[in-house]
Amino acid sequence: MSNQNTDTTEVAAGVMLILIAVFFGWQTLDLEVGTSLRMGPGYFPMILSGLLLILGIIVLLSAFRQKGEPFGRVAWRGLLFILPAPVFFGLTVRGLGFVPSLFITTLIAAQASVKMRPLPALILAVAVTVFSTFVFSYALGLPFRRFGPWLPL
Amino acid sequence: MTIKLTRRLLLGATLALGFAGAALAEFPDRPVTLVIPFAAGGSTDVVGRIVADKMSAALGQQVIVQNVGGAGGSLGAGQVAKADPDGYTILMGTVATHALNPLILKQKPYDPVADFAPVSLLVLVPNVLAVNPELPVNNVQELIDLAKKEPLSYASSGNGTPLHLSGALFNSMAGIEITHIPYKGSGPALTDVLGNQVPIIFDNLPSTSGHLKSGKLKALGVTTAERAPSFPDIPAIAETLPGYETYSWNALFAPAGTPPEVVTKLNEAAKTAMADPDVIKQMDGFSTTIVASSPEELAEHVKAEMAKWEPVVREANVSLD
Amino acid sequence: MELLSNLGLGFSVAGSFANLAFCLIGAILGTLIGVLPGIGATATIAMLLPITFQLEPVSSLIMLAGIYYGAQYGGSTTAILINMPGESSSAVTAIDGYQMARKGRAGAALAICAIGSFFAGTVSTFLVAIFAPWLTEQALKFGAAEYFSLMVLGLVMSVVLAHGSIVKALAMVVLGLLLGVVGTDIYTGTPRFTMGITEYADGLNFVALAVGVFGIAEILRNLEDESETREVMTASVRNLWPTREDFRAMVGPVLRGTGIGSLLGILPGGGAILASFASYTMEKKISKNPQEFGKGAIAGVAGPESANNAGAQTSFIPLLTLGIPANPVMALMIGAMIIQGIVPGPSVVTDQPELFWGIIASMWIGNLMLVVLNLPLIGLWVKLLTVPYYILFPIIMAMCSIGVYSVASNTFDLYAVAFFGLLGYLMSKLRFEPAPLLLGFVLGPLLEENLRRAMILSRGDATTFVTRPISLTLLLMSLGVLVLVLLPAIRKGRDEVFVESEG
Repeated sequence: MSNQNTDTTEVAAGVMLILIAVFFGWQTLDLEVGTSLRMGPGYFPMILSGLLLILGIIVLLSAFRQKGEPFGRVAWRGLLFILPAPVFFGLTVRGLGFVPSLFITTLIAAQASVKMRPLPALILAVAVTVFSTFVFSYALGLPFRRFGPWLPL
Repeated sequence: MTIKLTRRLLLGATLALGFAGAALAEFPDRPVTLVIPFAAGGSTDVVGRIVADKMSAALGQQVIVQNVGGAGGSLGAGQVAKADPDGYTILMGTVATHALNPLILKQKPYDPVADFAPVSLLVLVPNVLAVNPELPVNNVQELIDLAKKEPLSYASSGNGTPLHLSGALFNSMAGIEITHIPYKGSGPALTDVLGNQVPIIFDNLPSTSGHLKSGKLKALGVTTAERAPSFPDIPAIAETLPGYETYSWNALFAPAGTPPEVVTKLNEAAKTAMADPDVIKQMDGFSTTIVASSPEELAEHVKAEMAKWEPVVREANVSLD
Repeated sequence: MELLSNLGLGFSVAGSFANLAFCLIGAILGTLIGVLPGIGATATIAMLLPITFQLEPVSSLIMLAGIYYGAQYGGSTTAILINMPGESSSAVTAIDGYQMARKGRAGAALAICAIGSFFAGTVSTFLVAIFAPWLTEQALKFGAAEYFSLMVLGLVMSVVLAHGSIVKALAMVVLGLLLGVVGTDIYTGTPRFTMGITEYADGLNFVALAVGVFGIAEILRNLEDESETREVMTASVRNLWPTREDFRAMVGPVLRGTGIGSLLGILPGGGAILASFASYTMEKKISKNPQEFGKGAIAGVAGPESANNAGAQTSFIPLLTLGIPANPVMALMIGAMIIQGIVPGPSVVTDQPELFWGIIASMWIGNLMLVVLNLPLIGLWVKLLTVPYYILFPIIMAMCSIGVYSVASNTFDLYAVAFFGLLGYLMSKLRFEPAPLLLGFVLGPLLEENLRRAMILSRGDATTFVTRPISLTLLLMSLGVLVLVLLPAIRKGRDEVFVESEG
């Protein structure tokens, strides 16, 4: 517990909302607002951005009248390996094909835990790949290419 | 960017290696993917799956259906336009992907003529102008007269769809202004017309036919130049507004650069599929006309359709980014 | 008794050996695929639809229906076990279900789901059988103005979902609405907030959002501190089955949930998605211990699950009586009918009574099968939780990737998963709740679409919302809920709010 009269978490929350509101509001500038009979594509988002901005300001202001709470640890290693996993799958599923892409995706995700040793990770990735290839590609007949055009087969 | 570049390089290398072998082998020596640029379950999907099933038999290789929906068919069409021109990836094109989207979209993800090798026209689907029975009109002329007296609205399956533009063409030819109400797909549009929230609808004949038969909707006219064989009692709109003609269609396309002998093979398979008695019966069941064509006829058809829709699109002032 | 003879016909069709087998296959397939993390009913049906095209019409629809409720059931299982909802309805189940699981009560939560769903399924199947045509007539009275007011009611209720600060819950609803707007504007075709990426023209994928803000954020939270002995789940699983008190606690919520779900399910155009949210709100409001909600309240699982399943059954009504899909899954069913040469529409009941009543009867049989199948499986699911987390989560990531990709073969949906995972984690660090965001996301497009449609139809006259009786009633109800929500908050003052937010 900090002794300050400001809750930093809430400050960050308020700032995040304001930033998001500003971003959407800025993007809305390009859209036609229209009239209430013929509402343009910008009408609804503009109202929403304004609302979000107000809510963000309320959160921010009330943050200065509360005690702070510890922010807690951040899962840096998790962020580093978990988030890229689906991205890698997306980038390679067409090119490398389903089998190699999924294998590497699982391997990447497995690195997120310090408890995971290399050999178990490898075994796990093989098991997941074999299982998924059998279920999704063979049994359900999903139109995935098992091995893609990037591989010199 | 680097990723894209590497991808290109890898692609190029594999293509160079692959082609030498592919030229020797007889097409098709592995399954063919038919991309349907709409979600599973829609009318294009249904036609595509029926055709794929019969083409598999004709080609002696599985034709696998892959739904790549999104952006009014542009995503799937764009994907096929960029696919390897080897005949193993083909597209179920529609009036939307090959006539309307290219006219409407400001950003053009593909060129409907230059990026594709036409294979075969498959079917024509009539559209229909129908009203809720509570609307006090019995034919096209009465509707036009009513529209001149009071404000009316019509529902369609979405902005820039053939159905929206069928309505826009109707407005402009009749000199009236019925307000367009777009929906997300024909299901919700039909719901609101059945509940008389909106009195008028332009829709595909197949999806409306059940409601026309049960009397929940009243058909005023079909959009084809002639009456539809499955509903000979419904007049053509052209009987009141001479020259009025719109319809939806489905056709097969391969990526541009596909070898002619491969296109011929696909065309023959498509024709065999469309001549199958089961297919004829199924297409008849939902008021769809079979027109298997040559690749050249399809190329002509695409050009004619673009020429026909261009003024309508301009007049209706529809444009999508 | 026409109903009895109709039901007799239905059961004779659905009870044939082949159809029983297809119903069972559908229920099993649906459960199995649905139980894989990140893969819900829509993804499952999209994957399995082609398989059914080879079958007889009745059999194929029976199997599809089986896949549908099976997958929904499976989706609830993953929502409870690993906080990974594959569908908007199971997002609500995740709130209290997952908390029950963390307290070692996963078995009880799953059993409550199974029993509540079965009861709701039975009641709503009979509602479908008795009232289908009449209910359809009522549903058609809902125009754009009514839907708008209904969505307003839904949004007002969503604030109650939060168990922390109301202002922050509201902010999440608004953010959800904004995210829901991403994509092509249906009235003008203008792309909004798509950053020029055509792949987002049809909007952001719900599964990507749900998997990101719920599931991946939860994985990241669990990876924060691995050094300590803090395990994700309490290792000791207390009483696998619900206790007598649990049963007593679930009776009311199940009954109310069934009622709410049956009613909302009929509305074509998104009524059913409100069902589980509405039920949760109601249970929290009438509960004697509202502070338990969000921390593993039985009513928070039993009510929404029943509502969800009842809504799933009654959403067949518009499909069968009008041939109109109430949700994407129903749209796929229509495709299945057309491909079988059946023209969906009002004539199906009269032209093909075996089909109509056969499907209805099979819905009940399928629900029975699900309970019989799943009650014994609960032990197995709970054992899954004893698998070390560092082995579990790479599997979860792999399945999520496949599931999200299989919905539309859109790789950009996978990038969205990563983005929403990050956003979800950030939100949880800043003590925001994901459930209101999700509801806003689902309702946003419907709210805007119907608001604008109503304004066009009324030629710009905003009084359309209060001159139409159904719309007015719904708006008055929203006002009532709003007062109910705000009054205690105002009365108890700010302290209460902050005490709760520590949870």
